[in-house]
Amino acid sequence: MSLDPGLRLVPTRRLLGGPVDAGFDLHPGDVVVVADGQAVSTDAPLADRLRDARTAVVAGPADGDDTGVPGGRWLAAAGRRGRETDGERAGELLFRSGGRWRIGTGEHPEPLVAPFAGVVHEVRPGTSLRLRSAARGLPGVETLAGPTSGRLTIVTGPDGEVRAPHVDVSAAGAILVAGARIDAEALTRARAVGVRGIVVAALGVKERRDFLASERRGRAAVHGLPPFAILVLDGAAGRPIASPVMAILRALEGRTVALIGDPPCLVVDDPAIELPAPPDDLVWVRSGPLVGAEGRWAGLAGPRRFPGGVTLEAGLVRFGDRPPIAVPLGDLERFV
Amino acid sequence: MTAVPRTILAVDAGAATTAVALLGRPAGRWRLLGSLVAPAPAPPSAVATVLAGRIRAADPSLADAVDLDPAAIDDLPRLEAVSQPPPSLAVLAASRRAVGLLHDIARRTAYRVIAASPESHDPREMTDLALRPEVTTILVGASEPPGPDERAALDDVAGLVAAVLRRRPDVRAVVAGPLTARRAWTDALGDLVVGDRVLEAPPLGARSGPDEALRETLEGVLRSTNDTRHLAMRALVSLADVLDRRIELVEIGFDGGLRAVAWPGVADEGPSAEGVRSADAALIPPDPDEAAVEEVLAWTTGSLDRHRMGDRLRDLRSEPWADTTGEGARLRLAAARAAMTRLVEITPDLSGRPVADLTLVAGGAFAAAPGGSVVLAVADVIRRTGATQVALDHARLLGPLGSIDDPDDRRDLVADLADDLLAPLGSLVVVAGMPPRLRGRAATGTVSLESADGPATGSAPRRELATGELAFLDLAPGRQATATLEFRDSARIGRRARRFSVAVSGGLAGVVVDLRDVPLRLPDRRDRRRAALATWGEPVWPGDDR
Repeated sequence: MSLDPGLRLVPTRRLLGGPVDAGFDLHPGDVVVVADGQAVSTDAPLADRLRDARTAVVAGPADGDDTGVPGGRWLAAAGRRGRETDGERAGELLFRSGGRWRIGTGEHPEPLVAPFAGVVHEVRPGTSLRLRSAARGLPGVETLAGPTSGRLTIVTGPDGEVRAPHVDVSAAGAILVAGARIDAEALTRARAVGVRGIVVAALGVKERRDFLASERRGRAAVHGLPPFAILVLDGAAGRPIASPVMAILRALEGRTVALIGDPPCLVVDDPAIELPAPPDDLVWVRSGPLVGAEGRWAGLAGPRRFPGGVTLEAGLVRFGDRPPIAVPLGDLERFV
Repeated sequence: MTAVPRTILAVDAGAATTAVALLGRPAGRWRLLGSLVAPAPAPPSAVATVLAGRIRAADPSLADAVDLDPAAIDDLPRLEAVSQPPPSLAVLAASRRAVGLLHDIARRTAYRVIAASPESHDPREMTDLALRPEVTTILVGASEPPGPDERAALDDVAGLVAAVLRRRPDVRAVVAGPLTARRAWTDALGDLVVGDRVLEAPPLGARSGPDEALRETLEGVLRSTNDTRHLAMRALVSLADVLDRRIELVEIGFDGGLRAVAWPGVADEGPSAEGVRSADAALIPPDPDEAAVEEVLAWTTGSLDRHRMGDRLRDLRSEPWADTTGEGARLRLAAARAAMTRLVEITPDLSGRPVADLTLVAGGAFAAAPGGSVVLAVADVIRRTGATQVALDHARLLGPLGSIDDPDDRRDLVADLADDLLAPLGSLVVVAGMPPRLRGRAATGTVSLESADGPATGSAPRRELATGELAFLDLAPGRQATATLEFRDSARIGRRARRFSVAVSGGLAGVVVDLRDVPLRLPDRRDRRRAALATWGEPVWPGDDR
C-alpha cells in the first residue's frame, strides 16, 4: 500500500533499528582488553576504565630501544619504580615534554563489559571502541550512565509514574519500565537495591541532575558502582510511552535486554523474536495540548492558525470515533 | 541546445525543518510560486510534491505556464543549501589568558568550542578533550615572544597537540604562534608527515588575537560549500546590490546563528559584506545548563520555574519542530532573544556600524512567530538608534539563492525575486537620549505618519509618545510614508534634535517607535521584568487571551 503523500511530512520515529553499532567512550589511561575484529559474547570484558584517572610524570619506556609513542602503554621496570616513577606501575603515554613523559594512570579500574554479543571494531585507545551486532535497537533520546543489561520488567503502565516505595529488592538485576516519569528518590532506591536499568518516557532536569551527581559520588567511592543506565525514550517533560513502543516492551518482558548510550537505545539481541508493528496511519501526538493522544491520519489540513497567533502546516487526525481535528505536523509522530 | 528551465526547486534543509520553495518563470521574470516547511528530515521531494499539488490546484493556468508537474518534482533543477551540524574545535593554550584570547576569536566562527589550558585542566584531561571523537580541529596558540604566564607550560601544550595529531589522523590543527618550532612538537611528531593538516596562523598579542586572519583560517578548514549560512552571505551581497540598500541579516537557527552586514557597491567598488556565523548563537545549546535556562527565563513572561524551563529547553533541543503553538511560540521567541543576545555580544564590530536601511530576519527560530513579535524581538536585542525596515526571509530562500556560483546569474535571480523574498514586517524607529519620565508629564513628544496620499494611519493622525514606551502605528504592508517625530526636549535618532522626519514602510507590525532605554534595561526583580515584557508584547501577540 502506498503511503499518503501528506503522511510523509510527519516526523518519523524508528521503532526497531538494526544492526546495532554501539560506541563506548574511553579516556586516556583506560586499558582496552580486546582487539579489532574480535568477537565477544555478552558480559565479556572490553576494557578497564579508570575511576580515579590522573596525570603522572615518568621517565619513559624502560627499554632504551623503545622511544615510546603517544597512546602506547607504559609499564614500570623493576628497580626503577622508586627513583623515577614516583611509584606508578602502569599507564598510557600521553606526550613527552622536557625529556619526560606524561602518562594517564590510576589505581581503581572498573571493567567495561559487552552488554550484548558482537564484533569489536574501531578500537581507538583513549577515545572509543565500537561493538557491532546483528541485534536490533529500540531508540530513545538519551541514555544516562551505562551500558548495562538485565531482565526487562514492566512495573507500571505507559502513563504511570514510579516512586520510591514501588521499587523493592525483588527488582534486583532487572531493567524496569517506569512509565511516564520517575522521581529522584525512586532512582536512588533502584540503584541501591541492585536494579540494572530504567526505561522511562521522560526524565526531568531535576531528576537528571540529581542522578548524575549521585553517579559522580558513587564512582568516586572506593567500591564503585554496579552497571546501571537510564534510557529516556522521549524527553524531559512528562508524557506517556507511546502504545507501539509499549507493545514492544510488553513483548520483551522477561527477556534479557541491554541499554547503551551511543546510540541511545534498548538492544534486543534475539533475531527470532516477533515484535508487533503498528498500522502505517497511526500517529501519536508527542507535544502540545493533546500530548500522548493517538489517532489515525486523515490527510493534510494545510496551513492552520493556532493559539499564539501562529500559522502552521497541520494534519487531520481522527481520535477514536470523533471527527478529525487539525494538529500541527510538528506535534505529530508516526512509527516506522 | 539546453532548454531554459521554467521552474526551479529551492531547498533549505535545516537541522530542524526542511523548507522548499518553487520558483517559476511564467512571463519573463522569476517569481516565488509558493513555499512549504515540514519537520526535518522530511524528504525535500515529498514536501515539494505536496506544494506543487497545491499550486496546481489553486492556479492550474500558472502551473501550466511553468510546466509544473507534481509527479515530476525530481526532474526540476535544484538550488540547495544544507545546515551542517557544527564541528567541535578544541582550543588549547599554555595559560588562561592565551586560551581566553583564542576562545573569543573561535566563538566567532561556526565551530562549537571547547577550551582548556593547564591552569584549568591537567594534561590528561586536556588530552582527553582533544581526543574526543567529535573534535575535528584543534586550535592552539601562543604569544610571540611567549608571555611569562605561558612559558612554563608551552612545551607541554606543544607536545600534547603534536601527540594528538599522531594519534588522530583525522584531526587538523591551526597553530597560532611559534609552537611548531619547539622541540617538544618535533619530538612528538617524530617522522610523521602532517602536510596540510597543520595550518600556521599569526601569533597572539598580549591582549588580543589575530581575529580576522585566524577566523579566515578556521573557516577555511570547514570547507562547507553548501552550508546555509555561508551561502546566505553570498545572497545577501546580491540583495544589497539589487536593492541599493545597506542590509543587516540576523539569522538564528537550531545549530548556530549568523549576523552580517552587506552594502551596495560605491563607485568602482562592488557590493560586499562582513559577517560572523557562530555556533554560540544556536537557538538552544546542545546541553542546556543553568546559565542557558537563566538566559531564556530573562525573556519569558510565563511563570515557569527553573526546572520546568530546563525541561522545556531540553525538549525544544531534542524536538525543535514540536510544540510551536501557544506558550511554545513564546518560549521559542524567548530562546531566540537569548540567542540573539549572545550573537550581539560577540559582534561588537557590527553593532558599531550605523543602523542598516533594512534588517532582514531569517532562520527557523522566527519562522512561525507572528510578524509583530519578530519586530519586537529585534527591537529588544539590537539596540541602535535610527530607523530600519524589518523584513523576514519567509520562504528561506537566502541560502538556496547563494548556491548560485556565478555572481551575475545570482544577481539576476535575486533581482527578480527581491519582492517575493522579503516579507515586510514593518519599520522600527529607535529613539534614545530623552529625559527620564517625570510625574505628571508623561508625553514627551508626538509622531505622525504622512504618505503621498495623505495621513497614513487609519486612526488618529498624531500620536503622543512617552519616554520608555513602545508605540505601534498601523501602516499596511507595501505602503510608504514619512514619520515625523517631534519632542519637547532633544532626542537622538542617529543625531540629536527635536524634530525628525524618517522614511518608513509598512508591514505586519506597522511602524514601531521604540522609546525605551538604549541599551535596554530590564527590571532586576523577575515579577516586574515579566510584567514589563508582557506589557510590551501585548500588542504583537494576536488572539492572546492571557
